[in-house]
Amino acid sequence: MKDFFNSKSAKILIATLAVLIVISILGATGNPWVSSAFNFFSKGLSSVTSKLTEEHKSYEQLQAENEKLRSEAADLRTQLVDYYDLKSENARLWKYYKLKKTHPDYELMPSSVIRRDTSEDFYGFTIDAGSSVGISKLDPVLTENGVIGFISSVSSATAKVTTILSPDFQAGAIDKKSGDSGVVTGSAMLESENRSQFTKIDANSKVKKGDVIVSSGIGGVYPADLILGKVTSIKYDEYDATKYAEIKSYENIKTVTDVVVLTSFKSKGELPDKEAR
Amino acid sequence: MERRYTAFRYIAYSLELLLLFILQTTPRLMPEIFGSKPLLLLPAALTISYVESEIPAMFFGMASGILLDLGYGDNIGFFTFALTISCFFISVIFRDNFVVSFLNATAFNSIFCAGLIFLYFLFFHVFAGKGSSLYYFFAHYFSRIIYTILTGILLYYLNKYLSRSLRDN
Repeated sequence: MKDFFNSKSAKILIATLAVLIVISILGATGNPWVSSAFNFFSKGLSSVTSKLTEEHKSYEQLQAENEKLRSEAADLRTQLVDYYDLKSENARLWKYYKLKKTHPDYELMPSSVIRRDTSEDFYGFTIDAGSSVGISKLDPVLTENGVIGFISSVSSATAKVTTILSPDFQAGAIDKKSGDSGVVTGSAMLESENRSQFTKIDANSKVKKGDVIVSSGIGGVYPADLILGKVTSIKYDEYDATKYAEIKSYENIKTVTDVVVLTSFKSKGELPDKEAR
Repeated sequence: MERRYTAFRYIAYSLELLLLFILQTTPRLMPEIFGSKPLLLLPAALTISYVESEIPAMFFGMASGILLDLGYGDNIGFFTFALTISCFFISVIFRDNFVVSFLNATAFNSIFCAGLIFLYFLFFHVFAGKGSSLYYFFAHYFSRIIYTILTGILLYYLNKYLSRSLRDN
């Protein structure tokens, strides 16, 4: 054992581990040099994977895209717009136009999914936009079908999204039809079916299958009335018999490729006042 | 001449790791089995350590760990430390006690891939309080472990080939 620690190899191993520990601590404490180095590295990796992501689409996606492009081409031809330059951006932004029109206070940042790492649970992913375009931690991530997650960490060029399927996701929610309130969160038991839970609801609540669950706006993280999903069943916890509803997102979280980050809205960061609480 | 071969070999390993990282993280490139994708960099680093001495093995383990950690997180962590240490000691153990063969490599791949992925599951799922751990392990991690071990067979032959063909003897 003593011989081992005196060997040149062991000294190199110990020195390497010491350097890694220092880098890890500096990275965790937000040292600007280490963070910049990681960002630079991460940006480089992202640029490689994002190029490949753009070029590899499934047959179904290409078919859907083709149909969309056909209808858009007919409209755009009459307007003498440079179709080939604008088609991609236009298609992406059009989906969020209605949202922006209804809520003029929303600042939306469209982005694409560039990485889905194998080691990331609950279908989390990385998008190709970061703090350089105004994205910050906890910003809601949406598609035209509703909320799909939030920004869990951000670098200058990329941001990581924790999805609505993860237990780390917590959003104050309300049943649009019955008015019952609760919290929407992910569950390991339901994530493979693209479902989440509507928990902390009253035992006498009138939540029913088919009801639409939207964000309540309480907490200042998610604005009110963003769609979280549709109730698929009402259940009782097997341990404490509390009532909860299983909800299914309108978006397929596992395959989503284009998202929009809500970087700013009127009630952002506002906590309910004492009276309201 | 030997140094030139060594440099070529290291470049080949580096390109291999980069290629595997792209395969692993780019959506729709790697087919899923039971909703899981393999951690390709894990068996890659392990198989390199069977055929290289401890210092290069340690550095390629570290590089694989950094790619795994930075691929999703924003700091180095679990995989960087686990692979740096594992690859160093695996290389020493193989050099002193084992012949580089398919059976030995598969046995080591199975033990270390399963062990490291299970430790990751413990730290980032069970201890993080994500809930329904047993269900989640069998729904996702079990198939991920099997898939990772299976890809390790291909990577063993690839790295054995690189190690033999890019060596001056």
